[in-house]
Amino acid sequence: MNADITPDWSGGGGAADQPADPLIQLSDVTKRYEDDGQPALQEVNLTVAQGEAVAIMGPSGSGKSTLLNLIAGLDRPTTGTVTVAGQRIDRLSETGLARFRRQRIGMIFQFFNLLDDLTVADNVLLPAQLAGLSRRQARVRAGELLAALGIERHQDAYPGRLSGGERQRVAIARALVNRPALLLADEPTGALDTANGEEIGTLLRDLNASGHTLVLVTHNPDLAAHYASRTVEITDGRILRNENRHAAGQHAAPAGVPR
Amino acid sequence: MRGSPVGQAVRGGVARRRVQTVVIGLVLLVSTGASVLALALVVDSSAPFDHSFTAQRGAHLAAVVDPARATPAELAATGRRPGVTAAAGPFGEVTIAPQIAHVAGANGFLPPMTLAGRATAGGPVDDIVLQSGHWAQRPGQLVLASNPSSNEQIGLPLGAKITVTGVPGRPTLTVVGLATSVTNSADGWVVPGEVARLRAPAEPAAVQMLYRFRSAGSAAAVRADAAVVSAALPAGAVTAVQSYLAVKMQETSRIGPFVPFLVAFGVIGVIMSVLIVANVVSAAVVAGYRRIGILKSIGFTPAQVVAAYTGQIAVPAVAGVLGGLALGLVLATLLLKQAANAYGVGALGVPVSVGVTVPVAMLGLVGVAALLPAARAGRLSAVQAIAAGRAPLAGHGYAAHRVLGRLRLPRPVTIGLAAPFARPARTAVTLAAVLLGAVAVTFAVGLSSSLSRVVTGLSQAAAQPVQIGLSSQNTFIMDAAQQRTVVAALRAQPGTRRYVAETDQQFAVAGLTGQHPLTAFRGASAWTGYPLISGHWYTGPGQADVSTGFLTLTGKAVGDTVTLSVGTRPMPVRIVGETFAGQGRGVSVITSWQTLDAANPGLAQPDQYDVGLRAGTSPAAYSQALGRTLGSRYMIFGNSRNSPVVTLMLGLIGTLTLLLAVVAGLGVLNTVVLNTRERVHDLGVFKAVGMTPRQTIAMVICWVAGTGLVAGLIAVPLGIALHHAVLPEMASSANLGLPASYLDVYHGAELAGLALAGMVIAVAGALLPAGWAARIRTATALRAE
Repeated sequence: MNADITPDWSGGGGAADQPADPLIQLSDVTKRYEDDGQPALQEVNLTVAQGEAVAIMGPSGSGKSTLLNLIAGLDRPTTGTVTVAGQRIDRLSETGLARFRRQRIGMIFQFFNLLDDLTVADNVLLPAQLAGLSRRQARVRAGELLAALGIERHQDAYPGRLSGGERQRVAIARALVNRPALLLADEPTGALDTANGEEIGTLLRDLNASGHTLVLVTHNPDLAAHYASRTVEITDGRILRNENRHAAGQHAAPAGVPR
Repeated sequence: MRGSPVGQAVRGGVARRRVQTVVIGLVLLVSTGASVLALALVVDSSAPFDHSFTAQRGAHLAAVVDPARATPAELAATGRRPGVTAAAGPFGEVTIAPQIAHVAGANGFLPPMTLAGRATAGGPVDDIVLQSGHWAQRPGQLVLASNPSSNEQIGLPLGAKITVTGVPGRPTLTVVGLATSVTNSADGWVVPGEVARLRAPAEPAAVQMLYRFRSAGSAAAVRADAAVVSAALPAGAVTAVQSYLAVKMQETSRIGPFVPFLVAFGVIGVIMSVLIVANVVSAAVVAGYRRIGILKSIGFTPAQVVAAYTGQIAVPAVAGVLGGLALGLVLATLLLKQAANAYGVGALGVPVSVGVTVPVAMLGLVGVAALLPAARAGRLSAVQAIAAGRAPLAGHGYAAHRVLGRLRLPRPVTIGLAAPFARPARTAVTLAAVLLGAVAVTFAVGLSSSLSRVVTGLSQAAAQPVQIGLSSQNTFIMDAAQQRTVVAALRAQPGTRRYVAETDQQFAVAGLTGQHPLTAFRGASAWTGYPLISGHWYTGPGQADVSTGFLTLTGKAVGDTVTLSVGTRPMPVRIVGETFAGQGRGVSVITSWQTLDAANPGLAQPDQYDVGLRAGTSPAAYSQALGRTLGSRYMIFGNSRNSPVVTLMLGLIGTLTLLLAVVAGLGVLNTVVLNTRERVHDLGVFKAVGMTPRQTIAMVICWVAGTGLVAGLIAVPLGIALHHAVLPEMASSANLGLPASYLDVYHGAELAGLALAGMVIAVAGALLPAGWAARIRTATALRAE
């Protein structure tokens, strides 16, 4: 990748000077969807350092997507606190959360979640335009990303005409357009064939290597093994295992340990 | 069906799509209510006289008979003549010269009144409607006619007492009831034995006979009927006859102006209701396609699917139609009660045909709108239905996104503006509904402005807010000393800008029956506020300005010379201008003092001074100050701009416009709710990539704001055209012409505001679902299918 995909750490609570500081911190987080129902997450504590690549694994209904949604500010915990890049996002208003997502988060979904009626370029531009960037500036940035991801020839096409792998690359470009520090990927290869899945996995690893913190939800143990430095396993809303796969380097330390 | 799968599907659908259920119910409630109201008013306004005439068994002919020449047996025999279907009478009749008891001054005298002696209000002919109080039960009690034609002269409340002058003992009558006779058979009623006591010594006795005929559809037919009656009585027994057609003509000139705008609103309301109901219902079924697919996949037959979906629509539709019927009946009854009072045609009710036709038509429309898509869904395979229930067809609106995306506007705005292109049919129907709502608003605003100008023009209140008359018991004419007193007071009073002496007389002219008002001014009078439609204000002797009704009914034109008869003297005048004047049922003449004086010197005596005030002078304060100076011998009138009929019209216009705007807004609400439901997943994506709640609201509002703006822009010329077509019709119905300025009421800023009316309706309709879209949790939206 030739494009500048380096995350923008500015305004991140001094995080750039202390790369080993926790970027994500969940404390005693419980999430219930119904008042008297079984909690989707139960008293979860998790810390993710800047630059880490963490895979969250677990069976269907275990709470891993809920965990990702809470980190992204797409949902709110019933109890507990969620701090990302020094901000208590569980306290933010909806507007605050939207701004937070724009600046700090790049989301990658299993089924891409591209907008069918916008071109590839317009899909990628959208977060930048929502953040107030002019169309011209945003186009330059989007062009770089599309080129870096090898899909610049599709920039005027509509997502419906692309293959699954190409769509996921578009989604990744969209996730990167605002230079977020944190990439959250929910089953990013779940809808792809093996070859495309490996390509996307490699791409995510490269992004992590370039400085993006990566939190990856997956069913796929191979994906977790190959592309994440740490695996967090959840069952019935509780973290059962939090294991550092690569004990070396600044990413290696098991930053989050269940309390 | 309660425990059946279809029943469960209906209940489940109603419960699951609560917003849609509520919208269907509300649209049908308001649409039905508006249609019932509009149609009831149109039907009643188009023939209120006939309606009341039939209901009150009005008299086709009222004959005044000399009882000295016809015996009671001969009178009774007239009721059995060929062609006579009913007869009533003889009722003793007397004309009295009344004076309000205990009221000194000129106001104490009332115009002559014709009273009839009737034991009861009811009867086979002229079934009088008692509006308040009770019928006369003993001598000394009077039931007063409450028709406007009588009210203009005799506006007395219950309990008021009048003294009958010129009769020995000056008997007193107490008003115990107010009643309406559709054929104006008398100005009041007393018990039969009272008539003889009220007759002046020199007045000959008279009795009234009232008839209904088998054939009385034309003036010739009524004349023939009258001849049959007269022939049955001794020669000279019938001293006067009055045809119901003469009364009908008078009433029609009051009612006529209501008809054009009520028809316009009614037609707009019905078309809009049809469009929105069809859109709401069919869209509700289309939105349910996915669920239909699921039902089919678990074993529902096509017939069960159709039953389930028509049933799901029928629940809120029936509730809405019944509620709307009740709402429309209540509103129409209230307004018709006011209208009946204003028209003076007795009671008016909602026609049964309207109360039945509107709900049946609405439910029929709902049935068709629901059955067609439901039947289509029933024929689809389960997989096809599920696919059809998803978002718009691929490719629709993509180009619009591409083009609008290049605009230098915030991205949520351009995305919102492009959305209507994804559903062109739905957008077209929404645009049509908003367009009709905006046309109604434009039309109503222009009509209100024009009617305000009409009221001001008719009253001349802006030019001459104060008028001075005499409070004399004996005469309204001011003598020379009184004129000097008034002029001195006016000159001394701060705030006086100008004044002119006026006399009000009557004239006759060949081609018109009866007497009509003639006004003459002494001195410069062009400022007195009579709007000119054509020609110019008179500038010298022998010239006159006449009303449109005068020109229409006499066949004259500006520039013609006509000879009027004033107090039996001929008064030739050249018509130099056409004025906007409503007195005398639209037939009136204005001329100079010299013209009147030359024709009939005895009449050129002022009975009133009209006063124009300096800017910033309060008419009320001025009148009070002048009243203190002049004392109780003079009356100071504030020239009022109020007109009950116009007030009623404005109320109707406001009510109908509001209802139509609400219906249009509900149509928009439905469209946005459907779009929101269809695009809920996209909303989740937008939010996930950083769209704030405010941006979400802006985007959702822009889904329909562009449509609303386009509708508003188209609606303005249409509304103006409607205004320009309807207002002259209204004026023509009242024998009035219109100054061009009364039509030219739309100007710059107002037009710009009206052009936004469609957008305002659209935005108002979109606010609720936009708020919902902004509040929905991102994770929830992303999970939606």
